[in-house]
Formats: sequence, C-alpha cells, structure tokens
Amino acid sequence: MAQDREQPIAVARAFALRWPGWLAWLSPGGWVIAAIAVGTTVVVVGGGSARPSGEVRMWTFAPPHARMYEPLLEQWASEPDGRRVDLEVLSLPALERRMLGGFLSGVPVADLIEAERRVASRAFAGPLDAVGFLDLTDRLREDGLLDAINPASFSPWTFRGRIFGLPHDVHPVMLCYRADLVEAAGIDVSTIETWDDFARVMRPLMADGDGDGEPDRYLIAFWTTFPDQLEALILQAGDGFFDEEDHLRIATPTNARVVASLAGWIAGPGRIAADVPEFNAAGNKQKIDGYVVAAIMPDWLSNIWRQQMPELAGKLKLMPLPAWEPGGRRTSVWGGTMLGIPRTAEDPDRLWELAKRLYLSPELSRALYEEGDIVTPVKANWSDPIYDRPDPYFSGQAKGRMYLDLAPQVPRRTSSPFNTMAMQRVQDALVGLVELLRDRPGTDRATLESRAMDLLRVAEADVRSRMDRNVFARGETP
Amino acid sequence: MSGRRGRRWVHLLTYAVLAPAAVVTLVPFAWLLTSAFKAPQEFFGSMFLPRGDGFLGVAWDRLTTGNLTRLFRELSIGRAMLNSLFLSSVTSVLATLCCAAGGYALAMYRFRGRRVLTWVVLGALIVPPPLLLAPGYQVLYRLGLLDTYSGLILPAMAPAFGVFLFRQASLQSVPPQLLEAGRLDGCSEAGLFGRIALPLLRPMTGAFLLITFLGVWNNFIGPQIVLQSPEKQPLAVAIAQLKGVYYEDYGLLMAGTLVSIAPVAGLFLLLQKDFVSGLTLGAVK
Repeated sequence: MAQDREQPIAVARAFALRWPGWLAWLSPGGWVIAAIAVGTTVVVVGGGSARPSGEVRMWTFAPPHARMYEPLLEQWASEPDGRRVDLEVLSLPALERRMLGGFLSGVPVADLIEAERRVASRAFAGPLDAVGFLDLTDRLREDGLLDAINPASFSPWTFRGRIFGLPHDVHPVMLCYRADLVEAAGIDVSTIETWDDFARVMRPLMADGDGDGEPDRYLIAFWTTFPDQLEALILQAGDGFFDEEDHLRIATPTNARVVASLAGWIAGPGRIAADVPEFNAAGNKQKIDGYVVAAIMPDWLSNIWRQQMPELAGKLKLMPLPAWEPGGRRTSVWGGTMLGIPRTAEDPDRLWELAKRLYLSPELSRALYEEGDIVTPVKANWSDPIYDRPDPYFSGQAKGRMYLDLAPQVPRRTSSPFNTMAMQRVQDALVGLVELLRDRPGTDRATLESRAMDLLRVAEADVRSRMDRNVFARGETP
Repeated sequence: MSGRRGRRWVHLLTYAVLAPAAVVTLVPFAWLLTSAFKAPQEFFGSMFLPRGDGFLGVAWDRLTTGNLTRLFRELSIGRAMLNSLFLSSVTSVLATLCCAAGGYALAMYRFRGRRVLTWVVLGALIVPPPLLLAPGYQVLYRLGLLDTYSGLILPAMAPAFGVFLFRQASLQSVPPQLLEAGRLDGCSEAGLFGRIALPLLRPMTGAFLLITFLGVWNNFIGPQIVLQSPEKQPLAVAIAQLKGVYYEDYGLLMAGTLVSIAPVAGLFLLLQKDFVSGLTLGAVK
C-alpha cells in the first residue's frame, strides 16, 4: 500500500526534476513561439485541403477580371459536360515565374493562362515549336474569328505568323484633359489636330499666376521615366521598335522626330510636360490639384482614374490624341491581355470552347466595359448601346463609343520579348536628349533630331547585340 | 551632486536629440495607421486624418473600418495570417533546433570531415539565396513538394547562417569541462545537448528564433514561387496580391500592411530582451 503511494510521488518528483530542464531550453518568448507552432499546426493540418481534384485550373493577374469570369465559369461548371474551374489570381511577377517555370522546365501550369503583354512575350524567346502556348491560328481561322476581332488586337500574340492567344482588348488611347480648366480659359479643343496645335492652343493655361517665375501648371503628364507613354507615343507615330516581321527597327527618322519632340516637351524652351506619374499617390494628388492639364489615357486607365480620383468626376473630358502630323493617326495603344492554352493542357478542344465563351460572349464584353471601362475587340459586340451611355465622370461623354471609333486605327504591337529592352534603350536616348537640351537650351530642331538619330542608333546596336546572343532571335536582326 | 546634475543634463540632451528622431521615425507608421481607416475618396484629401468639425478638427465620422472588414470577410486575410503564423513558428522552432544541434556538433565533437563540413557551411554563406531559387524549384518539383508547406519549411530548416552562428555560440558559451562532467555522471550525448548545451545557448536561441520568425514572416519570393494555392499563401503574398498591376486600393493596402505588422511587432516586444541578449552574446569578454 505504501509502495503504491510512493510510486506516483517518485514519478512526479522525476517529472519535476526534468521539467525545469525542458523549460530552460527556451525563454518565455521562445515558448510562446513554440506554442504558436503547435497550435497552428493542429489547425492547419487538421483543416485539410480545400482543393478538389480533377478540375480545370486558370490563372489570371487581374482581380476585376476574375470577378467578371466567375459567373460564366459557374455556369459552365453546371452544364452536363462542364467541369469546375479553379480560378487563381496571381500577382503578375508570380504568374510570369510560374508560367516560364512550366514552359522551360516542364513543371505543371494552369490549363488556361491569362497573360499581360509583357509576360506573354516571354514565351516567344525560342523557336516556334518551343512556345509553351498552343498555336490557335487554325482554330481562329476555322471559327471565323480572324475577321470577327479587331485585327490589331492579335499582334502582341502573333509570333512568326502564328497566333498563340485570344485577345482580350483593344486598348485605344485618347487624351484626357481637365475640361473645367480648359473651358474656363475659353479654349476650343476642336481646333487641335496635332501635338504642335495642342502646345500652342493650350499654352495660356501655363500662366504664372503666383509670380514665382514658374508656370502654375503644365500641359501634359509625361517624363523620361514614363516608358509606357513613350512607347504609346512612338507607336502612334507609326514605326515602333520592331517592324511587322518583328525585325528590330529603332533608329528611324520618324522615331528620331518623336523622341526629339518629347525631349522638347520636357526640357525645351517651350516645355509643356511635368513629372506627374500614374499609379501612385503623389501623381494622383498632382492631378487632383490641376498641376497638369492632360494625360495620355487608354480605356483601362479611365477606370483607374475613376476609382482613385473620384474628386475629378465631371471635370474631365476625352479627345482623340493629337496627331504627330496633320492627317496622322489620332490614337495609339497601351497594354494588352490574352488568354492562352498551354501545350501541356489536357483536352484543348474543351478549353478552346471555354476560352471563346469567356472572351467572346456579349455578356462578358458588357461586363468588361461596365466593370473595367475596357472596350471589347469583338466587332459584333460593338453595337451594344452600353458604349453610347453618357459617362458622368467624363462630363457626360459617350466614352465607350469614342474609344471604339478609334479602334480600327490602333497600331500593331510587337510580340518580341526584346520589346521591353528596346523601350528602355529608347528611354536612355530620350534622357540623353533631355540632358543635351538642358546643357545647350538653344539647340535647334535639326541638330536635336540628328542627335536623336545618333542616340537611337546606339540604342538599336545595343538591343541588336543582346538579340544576337539568342540563337533563335538572330534571324530577327537584318 | 554636480555629477548627478551633469548626468541629468546628459540625459536631457540625449532625449532632446532622440525624441525628434523618434517622432520622425514614427511618422510613416502614423500615416499607415490613419490611412488604413480612410475610405478611397478621403485618401488624397488629407495627409493623416480627414479634416472636419469633430474633436481636434478631425472628421471622425468619415473614418471607416471598411478596409479591415473587407480584408477579413472578402479577401480571407485571416487564413493568410494563420498560414504566416504556422510557417513562421514551425520553421523558426525547427530551424533553431536543427541549427543548434548542427552548430553544437561542429563545435564540440571531433569527427572525420569536421573541418570540411565547417568550410562547406561557411561556403554556403556566400551563395546568394536568389541563385538557389531555380534549382530549388526543380528539386521541390521532383520531390513532389511544390504547393506544399513542406516545400517551404524543409529547405529552411538548417540555414548555414544559423549553423555557423550556433557553432560560434557553442564555442563561447558551452565549456567542454561541463560536458565532460556530465559524461562522467552518465549523461547521454542527447542529454548533454538538451540539459547542458541548450540552456547555456538560450540567449542565442531566443535571438535566432526571432530572427528566423521575422525572416519567414517577411519572406515573399519563396512562398510566391512554391505555394500556388491561394488558401496556402502567407500574408506577405496575400498583401502583395492586393496591389493591382495598375490599380491600387491604398486604404486596403494600408489595412493589410497594418494587419501584417501588428502580430510580429507584438512578438518582437515580447522577445526583445532575448533578441538583444542574443545579439550581445560574446560582445564583452
């Protein structure tokens, strides 16, 4: 009996002797972390995985797109031969890495990938038969979609004559201006046809009201650090960085003229541009304060302004971009998205049907405009009256119709994976010209264009040398 | 008396310099805090709190908890927080144990290949982690560990930095005579590690635990590449997802940032003594 009583005491004593030893391993804070580890392990492991198997996986980078697709995907899943689609929203860098990881090393990727232009072009760095996306050219032709979709929308996904993506958008570009300021100054924008007209007609808005020797505002948001706007303006002029066969073509007289003009906007005696960036708080504040009169605006950007700067509602209007020369193109293009089917996807026929339903349906075109202010590339859907609806944010203009009217003029974009590099090198050339103008403000136009041509030749040689390192891209350089 | 007065002046001077510096340091946090409670239309209207007719000239009624509500209700940030807590705590506990054991073995045992192993550990320190991303991804794929928590935890269990840190700490803090005495008393080798070495390494253990916890908590690239399912993503990735390609909901982003730093700030306050004592271990002979 006494032995029975002593045994637990011995156990307790042994435990008590050991306990401080265990306790000494970690500080109290350390034990808190250990307790968190145990607690979260129980919850996470006990929770199991919510992922059902045997489903179609789709990746997108845009949460608004995901919200638009969900009803259509649910409807597709409920059909007799439909399957549940697992739609994942990834950040753009994550999507790019996973997509390339899959294409280059064979790890699994989604069955449908919605990719932005710069990401998709990364898939076009090798030979034609190594492109990770399925060639959709024949399917598009058989379904009559080559004529049904705005032709320029195919160009970013066209590699050596083959099309690898279904276009999501057109992304025409207009000029957005502060109608309240412009109209208060009695300026008639209908007299503006070219960028020179724009600078001349709008000049009174750059008055120095506070007498500090600097204009109170500038005419346009543009700077050397805005590569997207730079590309849009160069594409508007007609040449771009690559020709229709994706041959490198940076140093052209047209490009030199545009870059020289842009340098003049920033640092010339008639400076009209200011460093008012998109997508950040400082730039938004400057726009709200009226520090710039106008900005280059693709359809999707109008949605961002609406959301981020509600203060500007009713104060803005849109107009076609002023042309680089009389009778020239009044729009450009900025951005672009496609839906592609990886080669490794099972049942591509079924996925193609789903892709068409997502991108071509009138419901989605409508949602795309209602939710994202993006006009569809599907010509049959352009007659939807939603595009004629007055937009109070843009002072009651029928913004959708204005963008659609410009859609046929949208320039083609290259699919070259070297486009970003070309853009950066042209940006360097612009910086060089701006420095020249700051050092020698009296530089005449002809000298400036000649210097621009020299700098563009340097840029072209640099990009060409990089392209030549890629055995598959060597054939692209003449 | 004059000495005490002199010290008081030194203190005053110190505080006079440090207080403005502290205020400047805290300004971004104040901005973060106030921004998290602002609606999108208020965001650019004022630097901190919206101006109005309320107490202290602030429009208190225009502040909103909508951003936090959206985070937890619509965007499942709670699950991301659980994932972060799980990954950070489990990785830091396992890494601390493995590094302590590895460092202790390298410091206290004489075995064939010890010098080579130490050089390998030292050599691994100079390999930039981003360089290992691509081969690591391939290895995880071949092991079937992509999109699993193990794919993140296993590679982080014995970092070279930690092993070397504990090797140095063991050399400084664990007297070989003590281990010898333990052996003479019949203690096993595992017992020597658990009962003698680990308690002596406790300051370093606390510091390393916190360093690893913070490192894993803030790790963005690793989870972004390894974990593909949204329900497995930690806070760092979930918060980054709030940032659109071209559009940013600043209030939501600030609320997310606030949520992501609050737990770790609390933990740091809890462990700061360990952290400081671990960092100063061996600083004074």
